[in-house]
Amino acid sequence: MISQGIASSLTVEISFWVISISTILSAIAVVQIKDLFRASLFLILTFLGVAGLFILLGAEFLAGIQLMIYVGAISVLIIFAILMTREIEISNQSHYMRILVSMVALGFMLLAISLITSTDWNLIDSRSFPQNQTDEIIATVQNSIPTLSKMLLTEYVLAFEMVGVLLLAAVLGALALVREKK
Amino acid sequence: MTNNFSLLIPEFLVTGLAFLILSLDLFVSEKRKDYLVWVGVIGLLIILGITLLTFTNGILYQGLLVFDDYTNLFRIFFLIAGIIVLISSNEFVKSNIKYKGEFYGILIFTILAGMLLSSSSELLTAYISLELLSFGLYVLVAFDRYNMKSNESGVKYVLLGAFSSALILYGISNIYGVLGTTRFDEISLMLTSIDDLNPFLILGFIFLFAGLGFKLSAVPFHMWAPDVYEGSPLPITAWLSVGSKVATVSLVLRLFCESLLQIGNEWQLIIIVLSVATMLIGNLGALVQKNIKRLLAFSSIGHMGYILMGISALISVNEDGSVSTEMTVLVINGIIFYVIAYAITNFAAFVSVIAVFNHSGQDSISDFAGLSKRSPFLSLVLVCSMFSLAGLPVFAGFTSKFYLFNAVGAQDLLWLVALGIVTSLISLYYYLMIARQMYIEKGADSAPIKVSSSIRIILMVLLVAMIIGGGFPSPLMDLIQLASEALIS
Amino acid sequence: MTIIHFQFLSAILFSLGLYGVLARRSAVLILMSIELMLNAVNINLIGFVAFRGFGQEIQTFGQVLIIFVITIAAAELALAIAIILRIYRNKNSVNVDEMNILKG
Repeated sequence: MISQGIASSLTVEISFWVISISTILSAIAVVQIKDLFRASLFLILTFLGVAGLFILLGAEFLAGIQLMIYVGAISVLIIFAILMTREIEISNQSHYMRILVSMVALGFMLLAISLITSTDWNLIDSRSFPQNQTDEIIATVQNSIPTLSKMLLTEYVLAFEMVGVLLLAAVLGALALVREKK
Repeated sequence: MTNNFSLLIPEFLVTGLAFLILSLDLFVSEKRKDYLVWVGVIGLLIILGITLLTFTNGILYQGLLVFDDYTNLFRIFFLIAGIIVLISSNEFVKSNIKYKGEFYGILIFTILAGMLLSSSSELLTAYISLELLSFGLYVLVAFDRYNMKSNESGVKYVLLGAFSSALILYGISNIYGVLGTTRFDEISLMLTSIDDLNPFLILGFIFLFAGLGFKLSAVPFHMWAPDVYEGSPLPITAWLSVGSKVATVSLVLRLFCESLLQIGNEWQLIIIVLSVATMLIGNLGALVQKNIKRLLAFSSIGHMGYILMGISALISVNEDGSVSTEMTVLVINGIIFYVIAYAITNFAAFVSVIAVFNHSGQDSISDFAGLSKRSPFLSLVLVCSMFSLAGLPVFAGFTSKFYLFNAVGAQDLLWLVALGIVTSLISLYYYLMIARQMYIEKGADSAPIKVSSSIRIILMVLLVAMIIGGGFPSPLMDLIQLASEALIS
Repeated sequence: MTIIHFQFLSAILFSLGLYGVLARRSAVLILMSIELMLNAVNINLIGFVAFRGFGQEIQTFGQVLIIFVITIAAAELALAIAIILRIYRNKNSVNVDEMNILKG
């Protein structure tokens, strides 16, 4: 477990900046690079960056899940799809409405950023502990795997089961769509 | 705290039925698979009986799921609607679909999702039910594997569906982050205790509404609906226009009534704008359509506009900015009745279109020319359902519009009601165009259309339901009254 | 490293994903952009979990949310890829602009 005082540690601060900047750069690469295959490799880098952020905050379990499902399964699926559809070089041009679209995305980003900077998280009356100050808050995602598993299997067990049904439906559906009958 | 799992019996049984069909599919010979649909229908009938007999009120998992009269009304609705869809898809599946067991199994999963959606009163549970519904529909829309239209609508639906679920999740994450809870009742408590709304929270709700707007195909998130409706197999188009819409409405209604009534003046204007745009674009867009599926798609967009109108009238804002909720129960009554009448009528229209399609394989409006000679019964049902969709008297469509508009008018939104009446008149034009094709135009083909007895029975039941819902709605209204009181208490 | 940094990161990733969904034409790339948006949601959530000072139960609930987001994202992607492969076999293209049989 990462101990308290994580926020003040210089190494953590530096690794946060390195990880987040590389995450953003690789995300830009995903949506900008012409070559689909390389874009998918950068997508993996983005997933790894998010896993790194989980680790930085002490949520190792989530980082493990992120690595296994995103880096392990989803990336393989995507690369598989790219190879199956053999469109590594051809069909990756952008829309004619590209400028309009980038204005929309940029507009959203500016809106969100202005909202973030104008929100004073200390003043929000919620169930958070009021004495905490945002700047000093220590990342407290600690030792939560037992409580996490308990919550998953008691309070949210129905959601858990429903996800099981949902995965079954997805598998059956995917097979029924793709499998060729003899 | 122990949970009373007997509350979940219908859901367990529906899941079991889906598993039964999926496993039977593995063992029976190809010929016998045509009987799978009857296994499903009989199973759903039994579950319907059990649901009616064993109903009790209660909550599960500390309020994640709420079982009240509202839940029960929608449960019964989804079971009956599921039976109708199963029977009406029988012939289509026989001739067009290869994997019959998977088709019916996944269809029953979507029924399960609808039932769970109407009982979930927490955003995560609701989101997962919504995803179960959408997953089933993604597959079913593309299920006609070698039909290019079906493939294409499947891709469009899955891409837009995944996009909308990303929007919903971003909304949920912001709501969680600001309030620390996703339960409807706790959201309501937190919202009343906060003095002014956090902009981040508003952003969260806007994203949540945008995602739900996609699922409801409300303007400006409606672009996918006509394409997806046109491409998907006809029974699934019927299920898209009824099942997925009613399920989403049942969630939206619970969300608004249980958690957002107090801050009504913040969102009322947005919903009104959406409702006006949806009514206008849905009904005007339908005027130029040549394909009956596309026409019904635009018409269902228009109907969602009326439902949004009802939602915007859940509260009335007084001049000093305070919110009054005296009439809320009446408006909820109107919305629920409208949804049910819309479902019955839309089913009647789609099932008769399915019957014609099974015979001719065509679905453009001009193919309905001379239908009154070829099958007087089908054209009678189709004309009645068109009149009901347009809101002409005698039929359920009129009575439900009357209730809804009355309730909205009582909430000081008379201009909105006037707009609703004007768009209904516009809609009359395109509904009558279909009637004209059937009764006045002469068709090229004059061979009589054979209608199988199961579809004939379904159509008969729907026709009677349409007329009873229009003429004697009071028994149904009593049930709806119970449901809306459960929702608001 | 405060909550605001995580909000920024999430907003930037989300709008990049938004841009990708709206601007690109390959169905696979649209899916990849949707994955970016879902990762933005996860960053948002983990930021709230770590820095909002919630009690343990609410913190755990946030992690439950993240787990479900990841799971459902994987299933959704698998299903979407199955549908895309289906249309590719029939049509030899996954370009969304070329999907134009369905027009009014």
